[in-house]
Amino acid sequence: MPDPIADLLARLPLWMENTVILLGALLPVLVIGALVLRGFAIWPLLSALLRRQVWVSVVFTMLIAVSIGLGVGLIAQERGLRQGTARAADKFELVIAAPGSEITAMLAAVYLQPSAIPLIDGPTYAQVAAHPNADLVAPLAFGDSYENAPVVGSTPAFVDYLSEGLAEGRVFATETEAIAGARTPLAVGDSFTPQHGQGNEAEGAHGGFEYQVVGRMPLTGSPWDRAYIVPAESVWMVHGLANGHAPGWDGTVGGPFDPDYFPGTPAALVKADSLGGAYVMQAQFNTDRTMALFPGTVLSRLHALMGDIRQVMSILAIVTQVLVTVGVLAGLMMLTRLLARRLALLRALGAPRRFNFALTWSYAVTLIVLGAGLGLALGVLLTRAISGVITDRTDILVTASLGWSELHLVGAFVSLTALLALIPAWLTMTRPVVRDLRG
Amino acid sequence: MTGISLSISDLEVTGQGGRRILSVPRLEVPAGTAVAVRGPSGAGKSTLLYALAGIIAPSRGCITWGDTDIAGLDDSGRAAFRRGTVGFIFQEHLLFEELSALGNAGVTALYAPRRDRRRIRDSAEGLLTRFGLGKSAARRSDTFSGGERQRIAVVRALAGDAPVILADEPTASLDRANADALADDLMRLARDDGRTLVAVSHDPSLHDRADRVIDVRDGQLELPEAQNA
Ligand SMILES: Nc1ncnc2c1ncn2[C@@H]1O[C@H](COP(=O)(O)OP(=O)(O)OP(=O)(O)O)[C@@H](O)[C@H]1O
Ligand SMILES: [Mg+2]
Repeated sequence: MPDPIADLLARLPLWMENTVILLGALLPVLVIGALVLRGFAIWPLLSALLRRQVWVSVVFTMLIAVSIGLGVGLIAQERGLRQGTARAADKFELVIAAPGSEITAMLAAVYLQPSAIPLIDGPTYAQVAAHPNADLVAPLAFGDSYENAPVVGSTPAFVDYLSEGLAEGRVFATETEAIAGARTPLAVGDSFTPQHGQGNEAEGAHGGFEYQVVGRMPLTGSPWDRAYIVPAESVWMVHGLANGHAPGWDGTVGGPFDPDYFPGTPAALVKADSLGGAYVMQAQFNTDRTMALFPGTVLSRLHALMGDIRQVMSILAIVTQVLVTVGVLAGLMMLTRLLARRLALLRALGAPRRFNFALTWSYAVTLIVLGAGLGLALGVLLTRAISGVITDRTDILVTASLGWSELHLVGAFVSLTALLALIPAWLTMTRPVVRDLRG
Repeated sequence: MTGISLSISDLEVTGQGGRRILSVPRLEVPAGTAVAVRGPSGAGKSTLLYALAGIIAPSRGCITWGDTDIAGLDDSGRAAFRRGTVGFIFQEHLLFEELSALGNAGVTALYAPRRDRRRIRDSAEGLLTRFGLGKSAARRSDTFSGGERQRIAVVRALAGDAPVILADEPTASLDRANADALADDLMRLARDDGRTLVAVSHDPSLHDRADRVIDVRDGQLELPEAQNA
């Protein structure tokens, strides 16, 4: 693109830029349409053709619609998934864990995917908690579960931070109280016994220990909706470890913890006082004893990796759509043989060649445009359905909706196929009038 | 409207495999004349009309309407000539089944210059009424009887106010009374408006009303010497 145009585009508001791109994508159809249809009133005959071949038209339109719907759905879905996973990680500004795989640590701490990772010890945790740039530091002591739902030990401050105010009840105050995620089956007042381990590796119940649910979180659109948050102290206690506080503790759960009585945590969440502070801490705690990661950054690296796949996917989607359309156009060519007598009649009456050209071309383009429109609608329905299933399965709120890139894709598709439709239109002009007329 | 004259010389039309299907050494038809063409099936009557309309390009010779030799025009030129000058009534009627009677009668308006469209449609509507189809003008044409379809086809040829009417068996599907009425109308159109009419027909009542009758046999025009002066 020449620089002045790129400059101009860069200066426009985003929606305007997108509209310009869409119009640009559609420009070929509009120009061809204007040139081909100029001076003709083809609608009566066009609608007659559509009515005459109504089932053929419906089948062709549906073929195009399904191929577009799948393509659009795929792209919207992928973006929805990307946005959903990013949103779910929003609150997890900085995570500190023992050195290892960043992705594993992120999946475990943010998305509560079961995995065994080493612990960070008391002195290290104390160092993090005491950092001048730290606004909030909380242990994320995952590993236990109840009926396959993770039970995570943390602090009241973390619950406040994650939930931004409970939907129901209050934050836990003693070791036997728990907070339930929005999509857990337990109600305030219910009790449960945690199990050691998570998922398929869940081992026996922690004998005799019982939590009582005292509060419920609002929907967060993340796997935490299906989790229980309990005091970190109780997680340590049920494992027969120290409870994080020196003897003589008054029983108030939450930080600060005593480094000498801190049994360890697989991860700690950090909210820094500022973006700069977060970078300071990240740099400082990336040592041989700890690993500090920005889940957002790890996620966008993953997304970038998926971006390549996305590109391949879009190309595949376009190729499929073009193939379907080529099939449809081949069908149209056969159809125009059926229409040959009518087209010949028009020529015999004195209609210009271009009139028949316009008629056949707009017949094809009508099917293409109808198919594209229906395909967009179909794509939206499809992504809604799939998003629902994904949200249900992963608890990551995925809200896929139609975006500009899909509209651009469909615009380009319409233009490309409208160009291809010139071929059958051209072929109708080369048919022998007299022979077709005699039928 | 001023009719236009027809002058043919040395015309030859060949079909597939180079077979000669029509040859007309010479024919003169003054403007405003009504000519009837008759002859046995397969004689070349339809071929003659197609050649006169420029639907078929002759392999040799001149077909001069007014002062335009349409044999010298290319395909688009001949189509433009038909558009402006010829109203054609096909032997098999050839209607667009899914259009209404009026839609068919005014179909040429769809590609006519914008300023002529209104006039063509109004004229089609008036003629349908005149031929007894005014009340059913909005009905789909495939619901009409053979005779009614023929009249729709006639209206389509007349609606454009063309100075030349070429009609292939225009009364074939009609009963005696309707055939006579149509023959009268065609002749009146030719005479009153000065149009030139060439009508292929087996119908003696049409032959009687014509200014001139031409016989075609085996692709040859049989003209009484006196007439061809
Ligand atoms: N393209 C062609 N190639 C070869 N022969 C042709 C071609 N077109 C027409 N013919 C032949 O030319 C002859 C004249 O055909 P035409 O349709 O003009 O007859 P017609 O006089 O109109 O007959 P009818 O009264 O049955 O309508 C016929 O024998 C027909 O088979
Ligand atoms: Mg014939």
